[in-house]
This record gives sequence, C-alpha cells and structure tokens, in this order.
Amino acid sequence: MALPLTPIWFVALPLLVAFSSPLWARLRLLMPLLLGVPLTLLVLAIALHPLVRTAPLVETIVIAPPLGIHLQLDSASLLLIALIGLASALVAAFLWLGDTEAHLRGRRAFVLMLLLIAGCNGLVLTGDLFNLYVFLEIAGVSAYALSALRQDAPALEAGLKYLIIGSVAAVFFLFAVVLIYLQTGSLSLGAVASSFGEIPGPMQILIGLLMLVGLGIKAELFPFNFWVPDIYQGSHPAVASLFSGILVKAFLFVLFHLVFVLLADPEVIRTWLMGLGAATMLVAETVALRQQDLRRMLAYSSLGQVGLVTLALGFGSEATLAGGLFHLVNHTLVKLLLFLLAALMLRHLLSVRLADLAGLGRVMPLAAGLFVLGALAVLGLPPLSGFVSKLWILKGFAEAQVLWPIALILLAALIEAAYYFRWIKTLYEPRAQMQEGRPLGHWVYAPVVLLAGLLILLGVAPFLVQDLFIEGAQSLLARDVNLEAMLGARP
Amino acid sequence: MIKLLFFTVSLTPAATLLGWGEGLAWPLFEGVRLTLDLTPLSAFFLLLLAMAAPLVALPMLRGTADSPAFVLFGLLLLGMQLLLLAGDFISLFIGWEIMTWSSYLLLLRSARTDLETAQSYILFNLLSAFLLLAAILVFYRFTGHFEIRTAAGLTDWQEILLALLFGLAFLTKVGTLPLHLWVPRSYDQAPDAFSAFLSALVSKMGVYGLVLLPTLFPDALAGLLGRLLDGPAAGYLLAWIGVVTSIVATFKAISQEDMKRLLAYSSIAQLGYITTAIGVGSSLALGGALYQALVHTLVKLLLFISIAGIVLRTGQRRFNDLGRLMERMPISFFGVLIGIIGLAGMPPLPGFAAKYLIFVSLLDARWLLLLAAMVLASTAAFVYCYKLIYAPFLGHANSASAKTATEAPWQYLVPQLVLMGLLVGLGLFPGLGVRLLIDPVLIALQMDPLGSPSWGELVTPYGGYDGVVLMVVFGTAFVLVTGLFFLLRGRMRRAGSPYDLSYAGEVPTAETPLHYGAGMGRELRRIPLVGWILRHSTQGFYAALVRQTRTAAELLSGFYSGNPQAWVLLAVLVFALALQASIGGI
Amino acid sequence: MHAVLDSLAMIGISYVMGFLFYGFYRQFNARVQRRWGPSIWQNLFDNLKFFFKSETLSHGPMFFFGPMIIMAGAFTTVLFVPFLKDSDWLQGFSASGNLILIIYLLVVGPLGNALAVGSSGNPYGVMGVTRGLTRLMGLEVPFFLGLGLVMLQHETTSVHAIMAAQHDVAHWGILTNPIAFAVILLPFIATQNGSPFDVVGAPVEVYAGPRVEFGGRLLGVLMTQNMMMSIAKLVLVVDLFLGGAGNFLILILKAFALFLLTAAISMVFPRLKTEQAVDFFWKVPLGLGVLGVIAAVWLPWST
Repeated sequence: MALPLTPIWFVALPLLVAFSSPLWARLRLLMPLLLGVPLTLLVLAIALHPLVRTAPLVETIVIAPPLGIHLQLDSASLLLIALIGLASALVAAFLWLGDTEAHLRGRRAFVLMLLLIAGCNGLVLTGDLFNLYVFLEIAGVSAYALSALRQDAPALEAGLKYLIIGSVAAVFFLFAVVLIYLQTGSLSLGAVASSFGEIPGPMQILIGLLMLVGLGIKAELFPFNFWVPDIYQGSHPAVASLFSGILVKAFLFVLFHLVFVLLADPEVIRTWLMGLGAATMLVAETVALRQQDLRRMLAYSSLGQVGLVTLALGFGSEATLAGGLFHLVNHTLVKLLLFLLAALMLRHLLSVRLADLAGLGRVMPLAAGLFVLGALAVLGLPPLSGFVSKLWILKGFAEAQVLWPIALILLAALIEAAYYFRWIKTLYEPRAQMQEGRPLGHWVYAPVVLLAGLLILLGVAPFLVQDLFIEGAQSLLARDVNLEAMLGARP
Repeated sequence: MIKLLFFTVSLTPAATLLGWGEGLAWPLFEGVRLTLDLTPLSAFFLLLLAMAAPLVALPMLRGTADSPAFVLFGLLLLGMQLLLLAGDFISLFIGWEIMTWSSYLLLLRSARTDLETAQSYILFNLLSAFLLLAAILVFYRFTGHFEIRTAAGLTDWQEILLALLFGLAFLTKVGTLPLHLWVPRSYDQAPDAFSAFLSALVSKMGVYGLVLLPTLFPDALAGLLGRLLDGPAAGYLLAWIGVVTSIVATFKAISQEDMKRLLAYSSIAQLGYITTAIGVGSSLALGGALYQALVHTLVKLLLFISIAGIVLRTGQRRFNDLGRLMERMPISFFGVLIGIIGLAGMPPLPGFAAKYLIFVSLLDARWLLLLAAMVLASTAAFVYCYKLIYAPFLGHANSASAKTATEAPWQYLVPQLVLMGLLVGLGLFPGLGVRLLIDPVLIALQMDPLGSPSWGELVTPYGGYDGVVLMVVFGTAFVLVTGLFFLLRGRMRRAGSPYDLSYAGEVPTAETPLHYGAGMGRELRRIPLVGWILRHSTQGFYAALVRQTRTAAELLSGFYSGNPQAWVLLAVLVFALALQASIGGI
Repeated sequence: MHAVLDSLAMIGISYVMGFLFYGFYRQFNARVQRRWGPSIWQNLFDNLKFFFKSETLSHGPMFFFGPMIIMAGAFTTVLFVPFLKDSDWLQGFSASGNLILIIYLLVVGPLGNALAVGSSGNPYGVMGVTRGLTRLMGLEVPFFLGLGLVMLQHETTSVHAIMAAQHDVAHWGILTNPIAFAVILLPFIATQNGSPFDVVGAPVEVYAGPRVEFGGRLLGVLMTQNMMMSIAKLVLVVDLFLGGAGNFLILILKAFALFLLTAAISMVFPRLKTEQAVDFFWKVPLGLGVLGVIAAVWLPWST
C-alpha cells in the first residue's frame, strides 16, 4: 500500500518514531532520527505545497462518531508546519553536531522533543476543539518535562513552575471547550464556527475570555506571561529556543486561527488583541532594559516580538497578516540563532551574565559576530529579514491609514535597540583576560551559520517566499472557504 | 593582500560614479520595489564619497590588517552608495540603516569607546532612522507610493507633518541642537581615521536628506507658513535652528581641551551653517550649502587625518600635552594650517566662497539678524581654529612624547597632500567649482544656476570676487615683502634657546609653564553670554530621560516575579475584571 | 604697467598717510592732555629706524613668516579697497573684490601673525592673540551688521556700486543710512585698535600682547602693516558712508575728518577689559543694529 501523502503524517510520524525509541536507542540512531524526522516533515510539507495552494486539505479519521480526528492543512498551517520542521531540524542538528550535554542527547530528550513536535503540528493542524485540547496537553507535558530535563535545582524549579502555569492555562481552555460543547453540541471547528453566532452574547464573551486567557498564557501575552523569563532562564538554551521558536508560535497560530474561524467578524476582538499585543511588546521591551542574564534578556525580547506579531495579526488586514506571518518565521529563526549562541557561550564561558560576557568578541569572534547579526535582525535593520517583515507590517498599517501602531512599534524597536546594543557593546569591550571553559568544535557553528545565512537570504530576496505568506494570510482570512471545506469533509 | 583588496573596495564609490549606466531595480516584496538611479544631486554627494573613501582608507591600512573593520567599512560604503542612489524611500532607508549600524560597529573598534558613547550614538541614529521610517510611512499613507519625487496634492497640514518628521530625522543626523549629544563623544572616541569619515561624510548624509526635502515639497518651505521678508517663513525657523546650533557649538568647541572633541563641535557648527543655508532655500543659498558641504568634507578629512597622525605619533590628544610639533611634523602642520584656514572661511581658500554665498543669500532674503548671528559664530570660530594650530604645533612641547615625535607615516601624509591640493585649487578657482559641481545640481533642482564667467570668478547678483586675482595679489605681495625684507641690511639671529623670552622680567626655565594650551579661551567665560552657554548642556535632560526609563523598567519588572501563585492570581484577576467589564457593559 | 604703478602708489600713499595720521594722533592726544607731545613725523621716523636695525632676533621660520603674511595681507587689503571713485587711478584690484571679501581680508593678516606669536613660545603673546580674537568676535558682529545694512540698502556687495550710488552730499551713506554709521562707528574704532578698545596691544600696564617677542625689522614690519591697514579701513568707511572721494585731496580731507572723529571719541573713554568690550559690543552697538534692522526690514513701511 502506497502511503498517501496526507496531513496525518505530520502528527503520526513523530509519535511513531518516539514510541519506538528503545529500538532506535539500541541502533544508536537517536540523533540521526531526531534530525531526520523534522527534515522528512519539512520535505513532506514542501511536497504538499502545490496541493494546498489549490484548496485546503482536510482529513478526517473517524474513531467513533461524533468523535474523530479532523486535520486541516491550508496555506497558513502549512507555513507553520514547515517552520516547525525547519526549526526543530536545526535544533536537532545543533544538538547532534554540537556535542551537547548528555541529557539532551539521551532517549528521554529524544522522545520529548518528538512529542513536542507532534504536539505542535497537531495544534496547528487540528480541526476540532477536543483534539486541540489533547495536543495542547501533549505539547505542554513534553515542554514541562523538557525544561526539567537537566534535573538540577533551577531546571526542576522551571519545570515545576511551567507545569503549574501550564495546567492553569489548560484548565481555562478546557472550560471554554466544555462551554462550547454545551452550547453548540459539537466540537468540530467547522460546526462550532457556523453556530457560534447563535450562542447568547454574554456566553460568547465568557467563552472568548476563557480561551483568551488560556491561550494567552500559552502564547505569552501580557498580562499572562510572567512565567516566561523564569522558564527560559531555567531551561537549557537549546530547549528555550524550541519554546520560543516553535511552541509559542504554534499557540499564537491557534489563537488567531480560532479568532478568524470562530468569529464571523474578527473586528469585534481586534482592539482587544491589538491592545494585548501592544502592551506585551512595550512592557517586555522596557523590562528587558535591565536584564543582566542573556537568557532572560532573550526571553523578554521574545515576548516583545510576540507582542509585535500579535499586534500585526490582530489587526487582520491582508498586508499585516502576511507581514505578521513573515515576522513569525523570522523571529523563530532569529531566536533559534540567539538561543543557540547563548548555549554555545554558556558552554564555553560557563556563564551568560552581562558582566561575564565582556570581551567575548576576542574569545569567540564568530559567535559574537553572529550575535550581532541576530540582534540586527531582531531589531529589524536591513538588509536582514527582520527588516522586511517589519516593513511589511508597517506598510500594512500605513495602507490601512492607522498610524498609532506604527508609532508604538518604532518606539518599541528603539527601546529594544537600547538593550541589544548594550549587549553588543559589552561583547566588544576591550578586556584582557576571560575565563574559558570547554573548547568548541568547528561543526558546532554549522546550524547557526545556516540560520544566519537564511536571515540574510530572506532579507535580501524576500520575494522568493512572499507568495507563501500572502497565501497564508489569504487562507486565514478566507473564513467561508475554510468552513466549507471543513463542513464538506464531515462524514 | 587584504589591504590591497580593501583599498580597491574603497574605490568602489568612484567606480559607481564613473560607471553608472541605467537605473537598477530590485523587487523586494509585494508592492515594494527598490529602484536605484543617479541624479545630479546624488552625484554631487557620491562624488564627495568617492573622494573621501580612499583617502580615509589609506590611513586605515597602517599597522596590522583589521579585517573586521575593513569589512564594516566596505559595508558602510555600500550602504551610503545605496542611500545616495536610492530612487525610492525604501532603498534610502535601507542604505541609511546599513550606514547606521556599520558605522556603529566601526565605532566599537576603538578601545576608547565607552558604553555611554556607543549607546548615545546608536540610539540617536536609530531615533533618526525610525523618524525617517515613520516619515516614509506617513508619506506612503498620503501618496500611496514610495518614490522620491514631488508629492502633489497634499494639504498644508500633511506637508507640515511630513516636513517635521523628515526634518527631525535629518537634523538628528546632522547633529543639530538639541539633538547633538552623540556627536562630540562619538567623533572623539571613534578610531582616529574613522572620525574623519564620520564627520566628513556620514554627517553629510543628513545634509543630503535636507537638500532632498525641497525636491519633495517644492513649495513646502515657502508655502507652508507663508513668506517672511524675502524668504520662506518655515525656512526662517530652520535657519535660526542652524545658527543657534553654530553659535553654541562654536563656544563649546572653544572650551574643549581635546583635539578631536574640538573638531567634533566645530563639525556641528559648520553643519549648522549648512542648515541655515538650506533654510533660506534660494538658489544662492543652496549653492552655498552645497559648497559649504564640499569644503567641510575636504577640511574635516584633512584635519581629522592630520590629527590622527599626531595621535599616532605622540599618543596624546589633549592640548595640554602637545606643543612645538611644527618642526617635527611640518607636513602635518601645513595640513592643519590649510585646514583651519578653510574651516575659518578665510580667503583665498574655498571656505570663503561658501561663506560668501551663504552671507549673500541671507542678504538677499533680507534676514539680517540671522546674518549677524552667523557672523558671530564664524568669527568666534577663529578662536578655536587658532587653538587647534597653536596648541599642538606652536608654543612649547609639553610632554615627553611631543618632544620626540616624528612626522606621520606616508599613509597619513598622502591624503593630507591630496586634500591640501584640492583645497588650494578650489580656492583659486571658485568659479570652476560652481560650474562643475554646484550648477548641475541646481539645474536638476529646477533652480537658477549661479553661473560663472570664468574659472576664477564667483559671481552673484550682489557682486562677486576673483579667486585667481586674489591669490596672485596675495602671493606677489608675500614674495615682494619677503624679498624686500632680505634686501634690507642687518642680520637675523636665531634665539639661543626656547626660553629666551621676554617673560615679565624673569628668566623662564624648563619648569616654567610656558604652553598656553588648553587655557586658551578660558577667559571667554567671563563674557556673560558665552558663560551662560558654556554652563548649560543637554546632558542633564537625557540623563534624566534614561533614569526615568530605568525606573519604569524596574517598576514593570516587578510583575515578573518568580512566584507562580502571583501569576495565577493575576491571570484569574484579569479574567474576572475583563469579564465583569465586558458583560457589565452590555 | 598701469596696475603695477597704481598698486605701488596705493601702497605708498597708505604708508605715508598712516604714519602721518598717527603722528597727528599723538600730537593731538598730547595737547588734550596739556603736554607738548612728539612731532608729527615721530612715528614715521620710529618706523624707519626699526627697518635699519642691525640685528633681529628670531624664534624659527614661522616666527619670521608671520610678519610677512600680515604684511602681504595688509598690501592685499589696501589693493582691494578703491581709494577714488570715477577714476582709473588708485583702484588696485578692487574690481575683483567686494565688501565681504575686504572684511575677511582685514583678518587674514592678523591670523597669520598669530602663528608667529604662537611660534615664539611666549605665553603672554598668545594671551594677547586670544584677547585680540575675542575682541574681534565681539566687534565683528555689530560691524558686519552695520555693513550688512549698507549692503542691503544698495543691494550689492560691491564697494564701487555703493560709492557710485552716493553721487551727491544728500545721498551720502551717513545721511541716507545714519543708523548703519552709528552701528559701525564704535566697532570701527575697535578694529583700528583704538582706545577704549585697545587692551590687546595695551601699551603700558600689561606686559603682554601679540608683539611682545618682536623686535628690530620684524617690529618695523608689524608697525607698517598696522598703519596701512588703518588707512585701508578709513578709506573703506569713507567710501561707504562719506560718498567716496573724487580726487586725492578730498580723499585725504574726508579720511582725516573721520580720523578726527574717531580720535576724539578714543580720547575721552577709559580702556575696557576684553570681556567688557565684547559685552559692550553685543549690547550697545548690536542693540542699535537690531533696531536698525527692525527699521529697515521688519516694519511695514520699510521696503
């Protein structure tokens, strides 16, 4: 039987590989597979691209009616899937080539990471609310465990904190799902969406708020994101890069997917979302000014960027959506780059505190140079990709004749520059001696350099990929087509 | 090898200028297309760049090859070319930003750069860049395109908003008061050769932007707020900003005790003149502004490179620590001499031609008060010019290294000689400069060309002067006087020792403090106006701003406590409040 | 040939005139102070004596070239000021110059000499130069503003054109533009290094000043250029405000009248410190100048 190229593989493949991990462990194939699986998924996503362009792919696996697994692959989710594949492949390559700590190369990490990938893919793909909850838990649990993986005090504390706040988020979300089920008698997104308008107003608001809080915690929106810095600081930077690069993006996507599908008129919630985004951005950037630990600083910066993406996606015009999606991708790449660099610095210097990094430019010239590149990309300075996506977003706002987000975004970028350039200055501080840890091999840098290359490529020639984002934005906005596809696929 | 490659790279602006053919275009993404083209205005500034790049690159070649700096310099050149060739605002912005960050990273190559300097440099420049971006987006919102061409059909308020945003962006780059905080410290602490580039070229990009503004809104300056006397009212404001900048910066320059810092303040002051001229906006004034830009580029390159040579050889940069270098570094001495003559706007060097055009344009607009204020700035400039030549080169050597210094290496001397030649040539032939460089730009800006009947003559409706006659008369007089002097009988005797002085009836020794150095100009503080200016600074304001931001950051970081209970509590609280608010609202 | 003769004549006239004027000044001063005073020729003889000193002390090449530069500057200045109007003679190269150029030429020489002073290594000399530059900074603002009013009035920077516009007494600048004359009068005295603004070369009480190190022939050169410069400035003001001069006699008369006026003012005021002088210039003459500008430009009836 020829295996059909269906979306189910995006969830199934990592799960299958994860569950058969004893076999791989015996064959010593853990690392190659950890790299191979996301790569396969990436290739698969690319292969599916022509199909998805014409119409969204919808797949339903009936377990017992009305329960079933609905998966829906449209241009926007394909983008996210590809991104998840790419990002996790790069992290895997880093773990493999980088000769990282043993606990990140063991079986447990292998399983957890594949689960995380499966969970995220599921979150992006799923077409019904119950499965959404399930995938949310899969991704969540694997994330808690991943952050506690090192099993020393900070890691365990981070894991525990993550567990607590994650569960609270899940509870909020579950409440919302239950309420929806009670009101509409259905869990499939398509069905819920078509009857969502009939739910009484206050109940709509209650459901909406519950979801917003639940997903807001997960997607790191202010004022629900207070946990983020602690977790990112406690986890290994490579793991943190996965959180910042994949997990948050998946949740953000879910949030907006729900908004655009459930609400006939997303404008009712536009102000809320944009407000949340703007607040997240400004607060996070301001707080980041005083951070002394690289991981913590990156966490705040990540929050700021999430705020920016929320602001852009929340506005919901085609240009800001496309720009927002592009920025999402860029941010993933940049944060992978920066967190992986942080991992390298941590390994080499045993500390990533500001004071201890002074003079890094001499000891690790390549790392420092790449850090500068990454910082420039985060700040949205040309000719790096961050510039293009930011410009796209800003242009979208200008086209829509809305000027206040432009002012806020530029202000936030200025604040962001204040701390990123403080770090850069410190890296190039002339200092005589630095303590050095383990030396690093040359191959360690391969994934990081690849990321940097991608940033430059996307910055110089964004037209290569612009269609992806435009189609993604269109498919997010094309509520009717999506609903039709989902409803039509119902058994 | 690397050095050779680097030097070749530094010639690229010249190659671009000479070899530019068709306009180029590069599609960036949906709806944004980068177009590059060479206009006469950009050709003028590109010429400055083409001239300056190799001259700055040469001193950078000395010593061990600093490859990162070379790469960054190449990027900087790339960015500036992009900026100048830009046919649309996005390319302009891209070039602007590349210039900003690559020059920042170059600044970090100096071991002297401290955190405050680096931060103020990048933040002010990014502020300028983001203001520019905001202006571009507002422009896009009003017109629906990004191209740099005349915007038609804007209402007055739209024009004012745009002019304000663009103006602030460019004025920050130019270093106008009160946005100049970053200039002195960064020019001071940057790598010595690179300071020349910062002051001579990077700041000119702001000037380029300011000159670009009248092309965008041809009547903006005049039409915005009406006319005042014989010039545009909005320009009157700009002109005063420029003049006040010049005056304050000049007095600050006089009170500096460090060579590079003095030059930095003088740079602010000189750019203030250009701002003033652009404010006047007539063809005479723009001609003067461009001429001043040209002269300032040459002069500042010359001065910074000469000073860099001194710093290289002595390791000293404070006026108090130098002295009597004239005999040890004669070529550098002549470099600085020609430089200050140009800087002070003395005839017969071209600095005078630029000043003349600007003065006449102010007369033409009947803005006499501005004229008087500008004369104040340009006369006060004599004091710091004198300080700049006296303290390092004349007087008495005040440190061990100043007593043993040797002439700067050839990498520093060649650019100096070239620049001296250019300055003298341009001083002889002010008309040639107008004909070749200024008039094409003015014609392209749809203004009356200045015109010049011959190479040597500079002509305005208010009269002109002839550079060749002036130089010949002065030269002949000099030769004649010197010759006559030697014809007289009597002999010259060299003083037996440097301490053979009329020193208030005493006999000075090596211990007597004989070098006036940094003390020069100190008594100026006793003049009430000058004292007031020197007592005030914008530093306190910016320091307070930083403090406030830090406090805000501290306050907000209180939210991010490491306490899960608080997180959950806050989440539930927010949820409840939001629910209450929205349901209650229905 | 004409140009050479003309130039030599101008230089010679300004040389002799300068020393005689200042000889008269000393005599005049003495009479006011009820002394006998020296002869009118005294200054000229002093100068000639310096030129024939057998020995001159030098502090290096720049020390020597400074006086040469200032002398060349004085020659150039003299040659760019037209002495007569409507005449081929005593014009020098003034057709190739203009008023703003002359104002700047007045400073070129002194700055060249400042190099020599610096090169001498005497801190008191440099202090004197700094004072001179400070005073210049003070006086130049009202001076330029006053001349600006004149240039605005005639809409030209050409001295010839300004002279030509004053074709009879009623059109003399001093009558058509009295404010401008009042504005430049005191700064003009200061440019002449006249009392009460003469602290820079202060003759008695301060053992300092730009010339402290110079002696012998070099001092002679410095004195000469000073006198020539003074005449150039006097003639310039005559050209601008007193209608210029048709012939040599009238030139001397007008210049002398002006000189008498400035000398009379100089005689009655005590000397100011540098900073007092600067402050004074920025308050009184400049204030007057601002009023002049308001009258000439800002008020509704002014064209």
